[in-house]
Amino acid sequence: MILPTVLGFNLVFGKGKILHFGQEAFAIVAAYSVWVAVVRYQIPFGIGLGLGLGLVVLVALLLAWLSFRLEADGFGVMSIALHLVFLAVVLNWQSVTRGSLGIPKIPRWELFQSLEAYTLLCILVVIVWVVFILWLDRGKFGRNLSALAEHPWHAQSLGINRKRIHTIAFIIAALGALTSNVLLPPYIHILTPNDYGFPAMILFVMIVVSGGPGRVWGVIAATFILMFLKEGIRFVALPPDMIGPVRLMLFGIILFVAVWWRRDSIFPQERKI
Amino acid sequence: MPILSVSGLSFSIGDHQILKNISFDVDEGEVIGLIGPNGSGKTTLFNVLSGFLKPISGTVHLRGKDITRAIPSKRAQMGIGRVFQNFGIFREMTLEENVLVALESLSKDQRGELGDLKEVVKGTLEMAGLTQFAKQKAGSLSGGQMRLLEMSRTFKTGKDLFLLDEPTAGVSPKMTHQISDLITGLKKSGKTALVIEHDLPFIGKICDKVIVLDVGEIVLHGKPSEVQKSKELQEIYFGADPTT
Ligand SMILES: Nc1ncnc2c1ncn2[C@@H]1O[C@H](COP(=O)(O)OP(=O)(O)OP(=O)(O)O)[C@@H](O)[C@H]1O
Ligand SMILES: [Mg+2]
Repeated sequence: MILPTVLGFNLVFGKGKILHFGQEAFAIVAAYSVWVAVVRYQIPFGIGLGLGLGLVVLVALLLAWLSFRLEADGFGVMSIALHLVFLAVVLNWQSVTRGSLGIPKIPRWELFQSLEAYTLLCILVVIVWVVFILWLDRGKFGRNLSALAEHPWHAQSLGINRKRIHTIAFIIAALGALTSNVLLPPYIHILTPNDYGFPAMILFVMIVVSGGPGRVWGVIAATFILMFLKEGIRFVALPPDMIGPVRLMLFGIILFVAVWWRRDSIFPQERKI
Repeated sequence: MPILSVSGLSFSIGDHQILKNISFDVDEGEVIGLIGPNGSGKTTLFNVLSGFLKPISGTVHLRGKDITRAIPSKRAQMGIGRVFQNFGIFREMTLEENVLVALESLSKDQRGELGDLKEVVKGTLEMAGLTQFAKQKAGSLSGGQMRLLEMSRTFKTGKDLFLLDEPTAGVSPKMTHQISDLITGLKKSGKTALVIEHDLPFIGKICDKVIVLDVGEIVLHGKPSEVQKSKELQEIYFGADPTT
């Protein structure tokens, strides 16, 4: 279920080589705008979804604009800041978001009340999304994005419009976050800010790095493996208070190994002119 | 009307003025050589012409249209093609993708004239003599092969004003011939080119006019035979007058 957002993130960070660490900013805006509207204000789902879509695209445009204004590293920091600002808003605007309590009793659609039916629906949506991403990746858009990532000047001198392509990439990342965060809360019936902290962002970076930045199938495989490890650790016979630290250590090791192994593709040599 | 008209162009970074009041016209079908010592601002001039650097003053007109403020991709779609000093190809992409990405980025009009893109890709690789490497990453090519790939790609993609930055640098004599044939072919088909070169005989062979740049200024502008004879060129370019 996190695949849409991860694949969207991979498009910007992996294939586009833009230092974007604000994927969870999209997620927070998407999840909260849709589910606060639907659960707390009884707004019909369709309208709530429309609201989420509008806001998430707005955030995408904001991030794209920032990425054009700032140097790569400055933008990286700024995108993290944006994520943390949204998280702070959600935690403190208690009258609307209920702060750290989260929003319980998130409903499923009538047709998909049972766990089986809902899971099936999610799988279908995810498959559609994967096909869409593969299509983009293999096509003109994917080539333009990699060309810009490898050498922005060379790409632009061929007639590729950098701002247009990057803006579209951010919007697709935003739509991925929207898809994931509309599907996930009804599955677990609750929306909690704990799921949107910085560790979630680190997990995405880890998945993309270990799967191979920009590689759709690699990232899909990495998503399954890392999610399996993350959840699987719970079933190892460990005292409950050990799980957290052990998980962190394990992830630290995976991240280290992945970055080491992929260092050439993550930090390609800068070439100018 | 000249295809390219540059007037009063200046560019600087901080206090360091790199281009000073550059003005010249290029007529359709001309091949113009741009020479000058290292660091005289030739590449910088190309970067201003392709829109990567913003001049502090002056204008650039393409076919009478003011493009001084146009973004690089817009200029490319208006017909400016560029060959970079350090290979403008994408090493992480295959040769086919390298050509395809360029074809796909053409304006609708330009693309319409070309027909089936797959065929054009094939034709371009044939022109470069690189068909057998079609599925390989371009990073695996030698420098000369990269240059041929870039040149063929740029020439095939329906542009009509070419900015070529040292197309023969680091290329064997045989390939230099191939490249000079490509440029002469261009000229025959009525296209226009600005060529930066350090190889004076090469310039003499292919160019109608030569512009000499020194510390950001145009110091000479004329026919290759005249410029080559001039004393100033000897001083600027070869450091000293060999007759004294
Ligand atoms: N980004 C930059 N920052 C500072 N100085 C620059 C920059 N780009 C170019 N210069 C300076 O501008 C001058 C002209 O550089 P340019 O690359 O245009 O020279 P060139 O004529 O192409 O030389 P070459 O024949 O060696 O390629 C040089 O003195 C260079 O140091
Ligand atoms: Mg140069």
